[in-house]
Amino acid sequence: MQTETKPVTQKAGKPWLSKGIRDHLVAYSFIAPNFIGFALFTLVPMIFAVILAFVKWDGSNPMNFVGIDNFIRLVKDTTFHKALWNTVVYTVGVVPLTMACALGLAILLNQKLFGRNFMRTAFFFPYVASLVAVAAVWNFIFSPTMGPLNNLLHLLTGIPIEDLPRWAADKDWAMFTVVLFTVWKNMGYYMVIYLAGLQGVNPELYEAAELDGAGGWKRFVNVTIPQLAPTTFFVLMILVINSFKVYDIFINLFAGADNQLNDSTRVLVYQIYNTAFRSLDYGYANAMAIVLFLIVMGITIIQFRGEKRYGQ
Amino acid sequence: MRFKKTWGMGLTVMLAAGMLAGCGSNNNGGTPAPAETPATSTNTANAPTEKGNDPVTLKWALWDWEATAYYEPLIKAYTEANPHVTIEYVDLGSTDYMTMLSTQLSGGADLDVLTIKDIPGYANLVKQNHLEPLNGYIGDSGIDKAAYGGTVEQIQVNDEVYALPFRSDFWLIYYNKDLFDKAGVPYPTNDMTFDQYEEIARSVTSGSGAEKVYGAHHHTWRSAVQLFGILDGQHSVVDGNYDFLKPTYERALKMQDDGIIMDYATLKTSSTHYSGVFYNNSVATLNMGSWFIATQIEKVKSGESAAVNWGIVKYPHPDGVEPGTTLGTITSLAVNQKSAKKEAALDFLKFVTGDEGAAVIASTGTIPAIKNAEVLDSIASIDGFPTDENSKEALNTFKTYLEMPIHEKSADIEVILNENHDNIMTKNTSIDQGLADMNKRVELVLSN
Amino acid sequence: MVGPQKKFRAGWKMLAYLALIAVSIGMIVPYIWMLSSSFKLNKDVFTFPMVWIPDNIRWQNYVDIWTRIPLGTFIYNTAKLSVIVTLLQLLTSSFAAYAFAKLRFRGRNLLFLAYIATIAIPWQAYMVPQFILMRELGLNNTHLAIIFLQAFSAFGVFLMRQFYQGIPDELCEAARIDGLSEYGIWARLMLPLSKPALSTLTIFTFVSTWNDFLGPMIYLTKTELKTIQIGLRMFISQYSAEYGLIMAASVVSIIPVLIIFLALQKNFVQGVASSGIKG
Repeated sequence: MQTETKPVTQKAGKPWLSKGIRDHLVAYSFIAPNFIGFALFTLVPMIFAVILAFVKWDGSNPMNFVGIDNFIRLVKDTTFHKALWNTVVYTVGVVPLTMACALGLAILLNQKLFGRNFMRTAFFFPYVASLVAVAAVWNFIFSPTMGPLNNLLHLLTGIPIEDLPRWAADKDWAMFTVVLFTVWKNMGYYMVIYLAGLQGVNPELYEAAELDGAGGWKRFVNVTIPQLAPTTFFVLMILVINSFKVYDIFINLFAGADNQLNDSTRVLVYQIYNTAFRSLDYGYANAMAIVLFLIVMGITIIQFRGEKRYGQ
Repeated sequence: MRFKKTWGMGLTVMLAAGMLAGCGSNNNGGTPAPAETPATSTNTANAPTEKGNDPVTLKWALWDWEATAYYEPLIKAYTEANPHVTIEYVDLGSTDYMTMLSTQLSGGADLDVLTIKDIPGYANLVKQNHLEPLNGYIGDSGIDKAAYGGTVEQIQVNDEVYALPFRSDFWLIYYNKDLFDKAGVPYPTNDMTFDQYEEIARSVTSGSGAEKVYGAHHHTWRSAVQLFGILDGQHSVVDGNYDFLKPTYERALKMQDDGIIMDYATLKTSSTHYSGVFYNNSVATLNMGSWFIATQIEKVKSGESAAVNWGIVKYPHPDGVEPGTTLGTITSLAVNQKSAKKEAALDFLKFVTGDEGAAVIASTGTIPAIKNAEVLDSIASIDGFPTDENSKEALNTFKTYLEMPIHEKSADIEVILNENHDNIMTKNTSIDQGLADMNKRVELVLSN
Repeated sequence: MVGPQKKFRAGWKMLAYLALIAVSIGMIVPYIWMLSSSFKLNKDVFTFPMVWIPDNIRWQNYVDIWTRIPLGTFIYNTAKLSVIVTLLQLLTSSFAAYAFAKLRFRGRNLLFLAYIATIAIPWQAYMVPQFILMRELGLNNTHLAIIFLQAFSAFGVFLMRQFYQGIPDELCEAARIDGLSEYGIWARLMLPLSKPALSTLTIFTFVSTWNDFLGPMIYLTKTELKTIQIGLRMFISQYSAEYGLIMAASVVSIIPVLIIFLALQKNFVQGVASSGIKG
């Protein structure tokens, strides 16, 4: 754990502060700036939010403690179940697809290609642009009767336009549409993360593998993937969490004039938002948030353990 | 010691949270936050019935400051007569305005005068005790409820009223005279039944592709379609059974299938606004609220609206119902219960909702809540208002039904109705399924 | 390599390259559409069929966006917030991440898990308590509120920690033997080595602050404090949805972000991290 004793350039040290304690203080001092701000502005409200799950509150009148009533209500709430299901389906669709695209792109764009900077920027564009504008564009392209996509499909396949999927407005195709949209919008983001991770791979490892006679694919599997493990872990975790927390994308793509989502596109955070701010049931909404949190934490802990075992 | 450090931090955090939980809901709203601009007066706890002449700044919560014609004239008129008052507006945006307002108030924001945009949001604010009850003030200052044509009664909750209307809009049919002339079809009249309206729409529909002219246009709001069904006064949207809506939806879907109106799914996903299609001469008639009158007048003047020859007529009605029966929406003003400047706020409220305010509002082409003959005359004589007799007559209403009547659960009901409207019009479910779902879920909400 | 194998590889490379170009262009098409729409009248933006080059180019949109809403103020506000939040995040996150990645101390894993836990809760759940807290602190309607909300996120710590883990421990050991304090190691060793990660974090924090909508909407109700995203929404009113102006404002607001991205591109270059291992 410890190495040599610290050289004389350190202060002589108060006799009652052993080296171990000093090291701990040093470590805490690193964390402190971030943690203090974080604790005050994020952790404290969050703890309050957890407490909220056990009360009934409308945001203004005094709160009533109701114990686990809110959670019992969740068990029977079919709207909540559907929202949970929708969110899971969405996550399962988005995560692998995004990771594959992002990793593939990062590898391709890590090599010295002509116009590499242009292409990296092009793929990153969708992430950067304002969601309002981008969702409007996407909806226009995917418009059921007059959008270019359906018109093109009609030309290519001869199927009459009325019978083609209505994409964002269609309860069977809506999830597909939003998964596609999300992957398109975000793969640039994760591509950049992977690019950063790729920079950290020691090229000597590739040289060694090549000398051993490993072809491109083998090098990828035996050098790149293991070296990228921390990055992959990060990407996977953030992707899962962000997918479970999705809200803005659904609102901008589907919600229309009244800011509402229907059955096939209702996701968890939307349900939480609505329950709290439209139905004025903050306690119940926070109970949902706790469930969301537990699910995501569960997945995260599993991944965390996986990283430790795989990393070592 | 190191471990204790983490625990120590944890405990402090818990304590802080406990304190917050205690004080979160008990805010007396008296003291403004220190970081605010120091234009507020000292707390006027003295002289509760006098106006007082200490300088006072009122914060007015509203939406669409830039796009709305009457805010500035109202502020100007009031502050000229009351120079010690400054009015600062707080624009919360029109999307989800009521939710934003409720969140701001729950968080203790310093707002005095509140514009109330819709009934479900109003019901929520009343439930949360954010609004100052007004019956006392109304009695003391001699405000005559009858002048509001019954709209005050429509927003009463348990015999108390928490807001006063200053705008009362109602739904009309806007039509494009040029398109009718081109099709050789006589203009719509002030007395149309649903069947006649549909027939007119059909006969003026023509063309295809980019040249197509649609006979009618139903905006994506549920009120544009659903509320045809309540005009006979037999049903309301809060009574829990919606089977009466079947003929309404059947008609709407048929018009959609036959291409008389645009496809709902397309409209929704392309964010098409009702104003755009009217300006573009793509639709011959449009059922919409009276607020569009002022906008259309302005856009014709600016050249953005190509529908320069237009008119309005009364809403179509079911057989046997008096023409002039239509849907109404009320926009009102309320006072924050936790406001530190209630006197001043109430006085401003009285101004805006009273005769003087009504005159200012009417001069911008918007219909105030005090709707007497003079007011209607002044609107009809605005430059840009259609000059034909029918349009002027269309401003007279016989009876208005609220889009959503006041009800404790109106917010939840609104959600269910919107959802099923969407499902039915996109054909994601059949009419019967949609109505059954409405019945089932609203009943659950009502019995809770 | 053998001759025909080389050709085969070259062939695949060409194909992949062409595919990449095609897809990149596909990525850009929506932007071209946005650009084209920004020159149209609002009612013409969504007309069918798509008109790429409008008949009468409406330069007026680019004038209107500055006068209709105080876009200049909004851009300044957004830039100010983005820069401050990014700098703060970079500093405090990399500082904290070093401890999580390279130092051993009691409660390390638990604390880190706590950090990650907070990423998992959606912001809507604790939005109101946070709002009340900000009000108690007198920070409502100040830029400080947004700064405090965003600058101390767990995400930055997480990202930097993952990256630091990839830096071999031997380097740190060597530095300690050379007499550097932990702070010195952080400043002289970790920071320079982590340029790609720092660049990544810069881009993300900057973009997410730049595009943040809900935060400014709730905390900044005074017009002179608002940001670009709120400004864009102002074009969607009860009376109309002015998409021509929205597109024009969106085009203008992408430019600073693009500049940042292009400027940081050169840090994604191989070999930065591997120096120092040889020998």
